Order: sequence, then C-alpha cells, then structure tokens
Amino acid sequence: MSRAFWVCLKREFGSFLLSPMAYIIFFFISIINGISFQICAGLLEQGVRNVTVMQIFFQIFFFWFCVIITVPILTMRLFADEYRMGTIELLMTAPVTDWDVVLAKFFGALGFYVLLWAPTALYLAAFQWVTNGAVPVPWGPVLLCYALVLLLGMLYTSIGVFASSLTRSQAVAAFTSFALIVILFFLSFLSFFTTTPSVVEFIDYFSARKHMETFADGIFDSRVVVWYLTGTALFLALTQRVLAAKRLKA
Amino acid sequence: MIEVKELRKKYAGVEAVKGITFQVAKGEIVGFLGPNGAGKSTTMRILTGYLPLTSGEVRIAGHDLLNDSLQVRRKTGYMPENTPLYTEMRVKDFLEYRGELKGLSWKHLRKRVPYVMERCGVDSVAKKLIGNLSRGFRQRVGLADALVHDPELLILDEPTAGLDPNQIRTVRELIKSLGKEHTILLSTHILPEVEMICDRAVIINRGRIEASDTLENLSKMVHSSVLSLEIKAPRADALAKLKALPGVAEATVQREADGWLLLDCAAKPGGDIREPVDALVKKENWPLREFRRGKASLEDVFVELTQQ
Repeated sequence: MSRAFWVCLKREFGSFLLSPMAYIIFFFISIINGISFQICAGLLEQGVRNVTVMQIFFQIFFFWFCVIITVPILTMRLFADEYRMGTIELLMTAPVTDWDVVLAKFFGALGFYVLLWAPTALYLAAFQWVTNGAVPVPWGPVLLCYALVLLLGMLYTSIGVFASSLTRSQAVAAFTSFALIVILFFLSFLSFFTTTPSVVEFIDYFSARKHMETFADGIFDSRVVVWYLTGTALFLALTQRVLAAKRLKA
Repeated sequence: MIEVKELRKKYAGVEAVKGITFQVAKGEIVGFLGPNGAGKSTTMRILTGYLPLTSGEVRIAGHDLLNDSLQVRRKTGYMPENTPLYTEMRVKDFLEYRGELKGLSWKHLRKRVPYVMERCGVDSVAKKLIGNLSRGFRQRVGLADALVHDPELLILDEPTAGLDPNQIRTVRELIKSLGKEHTILLSTHILPEVEMICDRAVIINRGRIEASDTLENLSKMVHSSVLSLEIKAPRADALAKLKALPGVAEATVQREADGWLLLDCAAKPGGDIREPVDALVKKENWPLREFRRGKASLEDVFVELTQQ
C-alpha cells in the first residue's frame, strides 16, 4: 500500500472520530443493541434453548436494522462532501491515485463500523460474568458471527462508498445506498415464497439472513466469504470507474 | 518547465480547448489571460492532472503528463479557483496533512510547514479552524498548501479573486516574491495584476491562443486606441468638432499653453480615427505640431484580441 493511502486513511478515520454525526450514531446503536441484548437474554429466561445468547442476538430484527441503517449514514458524506466543497480537485491534484482515495475512504468507514460493533463483545463478557459461566462461550459460532458482521460491513460499506461517489448530495447518496442494501437484504426473503429446492439454494447463496443462520450454527461456508469479498471488490472497482468518469465530464 | 503542444479538450460535443501550443520557461512568471469561458481553468486543470486531455502533448518539468502523472503532480503546486479547503481542519493540521500527502517526511514537514505558514502570512492563524477564516486568509492558506512541498512549478487559478484591495496587494507581493524561486503560471482577469507581476502573458479566447509574448511586444501588436494631438485651436470649438467625429468616443484636453492644446482622443473599440482627425485638422486649418498614437495598454490588447 502506498504511503499516500496511509496518509489518506489516517485522515479519513480521524474525520469520523471528529464528526458529531458519528457519535450520534454510536449513541443510538449502543442503545438499540443494549435493548436488543436484553431481549435476547430475556428470551433465554423463558425457557431452555439450544442456542446461545449471541446466536440469538445476531439474528433478530434489531441487529439487521442497525446494520442496514447505519452504513448508508456513515458513508453518505464520503465523496458527496468532497464534490460539494470542491476539495475533490484538491485531493486529485495531489500525487495520489484513484485507488488510494477509494480504498482510504472505504477502510476509514469500515474502521468506524468495526468500532461501532466492538462494544457488543462486552455484552457477552457481562453475560458470562452474570451467569457465572454456566454455559461455556461457543467460540466457533461467536467468532463466525463477528466475522460475518465484518463481511456484511465490507459489502455494505463498499455499496455506500459507491453511492456517495455518484452524487454531490449526501441525501441522495444515503438513499441510494440504503435502497441497494435493502434490496439485497430483502431478496433473501424470496426463498420463503418458493419450494423448489434449487431456487431456494440459489437465493440462499446471497441471502444475508441465511448466511448468518449458517455462521451462527458454527458452520463455516467459504462460499459466503467469497460472495462478500467479491461483492466488495466489485463496488470498489465501480467507485474507481465513477471517479475517473466524473473527471472526463467534470 | 511547461511544454504544451496542440492540446485539445473535448467535452460532450463541445471543444473547450482547440489545439493550443505554448511554453513556460523555468523561472518565468506567466499570466494566463482570457474572458470567462475561454478555457483558462480547463487548461490549468489539465496541466495539474485533474482533467484528462483529449489529445496533444504536455510535458511538465521534463515529465510527460499522461505517462508520469504522479511525478508531474509532485513537482507542481496547484491552487484551484475559489480555493477549496477542508473547513473542519485547523490551518496547521491541514498543511501537515497536505505535506504528508505530497510525499514529505515528518522530518521535513516539521521545518517546512512553519516556514510556509510564515511566508504566506498565516502563522498567526495556525491554530484556527479554516472555516472561521476570512477569505483573504483562506486564499493564503491555499497558497501555502500549493507551496508546502516546495514544487518547481506553481499553477494559480485566479489567486486574487474576491479579495479586498489590501489583501490583493499582499497576495500580489507574495506571488512576486515567490516568482524569484519558482516558475509560476497564473490565470486572472485583472489586467493591472499581469502588468505588475508577470514577465509574459498568454491570451486565450474561446479555446484558442490569440497571443503569447512579453508585455512589451504585446503592446506593440495592437495599436492603442488613444490618439495624442497638439493643435492651435479654440478649446470649446476643437473639443466639440472632435467629439462630433463618428469614430471618436471621447476627447479630453491634457494641457493648454500659449493657445496650443494637447488633446487625447479615444477611439471607439476597433476604430482607427487617424484619417478622420487628420481630415478635420486640415479642413479647419489648425496648426499641428504633434500627431501620435499612444502605447497600447494591456487592456487595449486584450479587448482587441478577444472581441470576436
């Protein structure tokens, strides 16, 4: 990675830490996650189940809501602001490549996303402490769940970065990425409308819900990893093309 | 330092730059003049690697722009029109970030940033948020940013736009002093600025270069629109008759002594009033002892060349 990339990354991540919007999101996500975790623990209180609290936590509505809502808001200003303020010209006339810029913005946002979800590990620790470790932590499923959270974050962030590169307006960027992410997410529910096993299998291939179900069970499916990594690469490549195309038209 | 050959830039259907060729030698300060929409900013954006060119050759500091774009950008400092800046950063942080981005090591930065801030007169606002600075200071921060990596070439797009007269003076003197150590290409509408700072001027109109020469030579290209005349005639009568001539826009008395009047007759744009004035003088039988066309000002040259 070139030096320019690291310099940009430092600034991008730093600007998240300095932005009020990021802290507002952090605040609300913490509250929602807290409520969500309480509900999960509550579900376990009602009866013995054969899933652990984390496995429930990562599959209920609140979790998906957080992931789908936050990423568009985090990423909306990434390029849109640069276009609006005119600083894109300042950036692109420095000795940096398009990829330096795209990757720095991507990893800056992803870094903050990771920061958003990191505190949930504390919930698990607290839970273990409160229950005196009655059930040992199922490291396989838990680590896989977090891995999927990261993969989801990568794909959705890359969609957000792409949407931001398309427009000067933060609102349009947010709505565009939200629409794309929601469509992708709800496609996974199509599997409920059909019984043909091959169709179901096809939909399950890109169904986020199914991916989480698989990983939460402790099953590592490398096809899932490939789907998210290649999807991320696609949207980042599209972003780089958009940047180049915008300069042709300027 | 800059060699541009047959540079063309086409947008969807519109050719903004129509095959221009010009050079800027090392150490020169060259003014890029033209009406709005002539293609100045477009050309500058191409030279700085921001816009891709449609065809032509550009070499900057010995590097080809297409193949060696990164190297070109390392050796060029650019200040875009309207000086875009990151308003949420502090001046010193911004300059340190930009210096690092342009490849300076921390060791260099620690010396270079304070030097550049002092040179551009922004050291007093080093800790302030850029968003809280006045336009004059922002322009100077933009200039400091262009300078921070000590580039051989500075490209400044309308560096004094929107400044008040005091600020303009400061920036102009700064640019002039920078011209002693760097090659500078600046674009502007303000003609006196070019006369004050630049060695040469390139006049561009509608995507084509109309003229590219030293200011001296440019003024010889176009004839001044002002005709100086010394005649012996009654004042009111002379003024009235001269003003009555169709091509004459204005006639003013510069000096009056012993019945001799030294008059300046301004022609209407594009007009040559020598014959009509000569005919009038002969008809009225006014003794004549001076008949001279003044030296063209840059404004005359500009208007003449960009009229069409």
